[in-house]
Amino acid sequence: MVDSAYAESQLPLDTAIPNLAASLDSIVRTEEMLQRPSRPPEPEKENSALAALVIALADSPSTILQTLADKVLEVLRADSAGLSLLTKDGKRFYWAAIAGAWQPHLGGGTPRNFGPCGDVLDRNIAMLFTHWELRYPYLGAALPLAEEGLLVPFFVNGKSVGTIWAIAHSAERKFDTEDLRVLQSMGRFASAAYQTVESIEDLKLEVAAREKAEASLRDLAGNLEEQVHIRTEELRFSEDRWKRIFDNSAVGIVVVDHKGRFVMANSAYQRMVGFTEDELREKTYLDVIPPDFQPLNIALMAELLDGRREQFNIEKQCRCKDGHLIWVRNNVSLLPATDGAPRNIMSIVEDISERKAAEESLQHTQARLSHAAEVATAAELSASIAHELNQPLSGIITNANTCLRMLDIKPPNVHGALETARRTIRDGNRASEVIRRLRALFSKSTLAIENVDLNEATREVIALSSSRLKKDQVVLRVELANGLPQVTGNRVQLQQVVLNLLQNASDAMSAVGDRPRQLVVRTERDEDDGVRLSVQDTGVGFDPAAATQLFDAFYTTKNDGMGVGLSVSRSIIEGHRGRLWATPNDGPGATFSFYIPGRSKDVPSDLSRAARTFAQDSAARNS
Amino acid sequence: MMLGHSLVSVVDDDVSVRESLPDLLRELGYAAAAFSSAEEFLASDSIGQTECLLLDIAMPGISGPDLHSELTLQGRNIPVIYITGGGDQTTRARMLKRGAVECLRKPFSDEALLKALNVALQEAER
Repeated sequence: MVDSAYAESQLPLDTAIPNLAASLDSIVRTEEMLQRPSRPPEPEKENSALAALVIALADSPSTILQTLADKVLEVLRADSAGLSLLTKDGKRFYWAAIAGAWQPHLGGGTPRNFGPCGDVLDRNIAMLFTHWELRYPYLGAALPLAEEGLLVPFFVNGKSVGTIWAIAHSAERKFDTEDLRVLQSMGRFASAAYQTVESIEDLKLEVAAREKAEASLRDLAGNLEEQVHIRTEELRFSEDRWKRIFDNSAVGIVVVDHKGRFVMANSAYQRMVGFTEDELREKTYLDVIPPDFQPLNIALMAELLDGRREQFNIEKQCRCKDGHLIWVRNNVSLLPATDGAPRNIMSIVEDISERKAAEESLQHTQARLSHAAEVATAAELSASIAHELNQPLSGIITNANTCLRMLDIKPPNVHGALETARRTIRDGNRASEVIRRLRALFSKSTLAIENVDLNEATREVIALSSSRLKKDQVVLRVELANGLPQVTGNRVQLQQVVLNLLQNASDAMSAVGDRPRQLVVRTERDEDDGVRLSVQDTGVGFDPAAATQLFDAFYTTKNDGMGVGLSVSRSIIEGHRGRLWATPNDGPGATFSFYIPGRSKDVPSDLSRAARTFAQDSAARNS
Repeated sequence: MMLGHSLVSVVDDDVSVRESLPDLLRELGYAAAAFSSAEEFLASDSIGQTECLLLDIAMPGISGPDLHSELTLQGRNIPVIYITGGGDQTTRARMLKRGAVECLRKPFSDEALLKALNVALQEAER
């Protein structure tokens, strides 16, 4: 309220909607948000925020709502974030905690029946608003204005109690479905937090009562200071309160002692693994982990207990009571010490089986797409090869026919026949040159790593693509730099990328009729003895805002394309420790470029798909 | 019209074809001229005398079918025989539908060429 122009005194409590107010539809953008491309999840950030919240709940419950607002602000990268709670009389929402730019408005609020929070609770859904002051003029005093506000409801025991929200004050930050998911997960947590806050009042009374009782005891006996302290501490960490926090959480929470024995497990965790809390108390955390994951987990736990790390994340499998395996992600941290006793360890456990299954299916799909792309490339190539061979064959047969006719007449045209025979030989050589290039392209083992002259590799691809480019009426300009350093890598894979870029460029120009279809293939020396190859077209170009999606497996601007070529191409280039990117031209069209570092850099050792997958897995396990 | 002097023009960007086909055409009794692109043919004097066009389909710049359309637009009714190194089973049908006399896939025999030329020049006389 300090320094805030927005005070609760300004709130209109009557529920009449002013005649001039904008319609609700005009300020709601939920549908549009659901269509936006969503940012990738950041499970580590999210889980560590949840862990911080659980610890805050145990440690300083009175500040939990503020901690929650801080964490929403942080995880969503919002400009403001907070919680609105319904007042006891049910007439208005008050802003119980705010972080970020709206912090000065702490303690303000909105009427129950005439404001965004009310809209959200009425519909019991998450909603995205833009410039709500157009409908709710009083919010015009809450500065800075909200460009976008994302609200999700939260409930306790089926009773709606408030909303949790995030605000973007600038047009650059657009909320998406990932933000929604995170906010909803925080919303579930808010219910637990809310109950805790409600019970704090009761707790204070209880403490006061005990203190009073113990104060009278102090009069009676000495040494009671210590006892009061111990009693208060006991109360602070009473199992009841832990249970309350645990059981209201949607994620699994377990506490194990320093020997790894289960001390507590909340109901979400019990549902996840199928064991009851009593059954779990008979076990250690290792009893529910398959042997493969045990050594890493034991090592990380040891580091935690030694104080070598504050917390760790681990993705592992967990064996349920019925024997089936689930994937879980654990965020593990030490609990605050209590009077010299060995510290307990808390783990936030999230069931990620679905995500793992989705990842596996995605990998499977990508492998299939990559195979489909190879088949398509092969079909494309065979059409090219047929064309390339038919040209000299046509010359050979025509020349041979002419030769026969010249020799068949009386007197024979020996001079003409000699000339046609010479041309027959030349065309024969041309055909064998095509075969030689094909051999060069296919004879290499598919995973061979060698020194590649990118110019030469590119020339071979161009030679094999020329008929297709010709068919597409593309005018090709080739600018290959002299003295280009060699790169280390797989020649065939790199050629597939060049082929793909050429085909994409040609496709992008197929609809162009009002300007020349020009294609420039360029190689240049780049930093660190690396090499850059770019393919510039005068085609339809791309939306700069979509630049990062271009490389997604299913992104395409073509009606009949699968867009798989670019995503596979990028994996190939990244396998060579390089980069593949797209830039719009100053004029029409786009330029796709890749960069491969020079040979002085480490030799790529992980070109095969298996090696890459393994590396990702190990990275995930080690995180 | 004297068959022996009919001018057959070849438009193909492939040098093997431009060198070999005119010689064969002359052996078959025709006059022959070769052009490396549609643009070159359109700019030449031969355009008025050409009685049959042996036309490549895929060429940089103006393609064979585009040249055909352009000639039709100019009111020049020159019979066209397509010669193509690529294409598939549907190519010939599509080209015939567009008004071509024949569509020969490279490599083609001299008999096939002669047969197509006979049809084309009979058509031209009509």
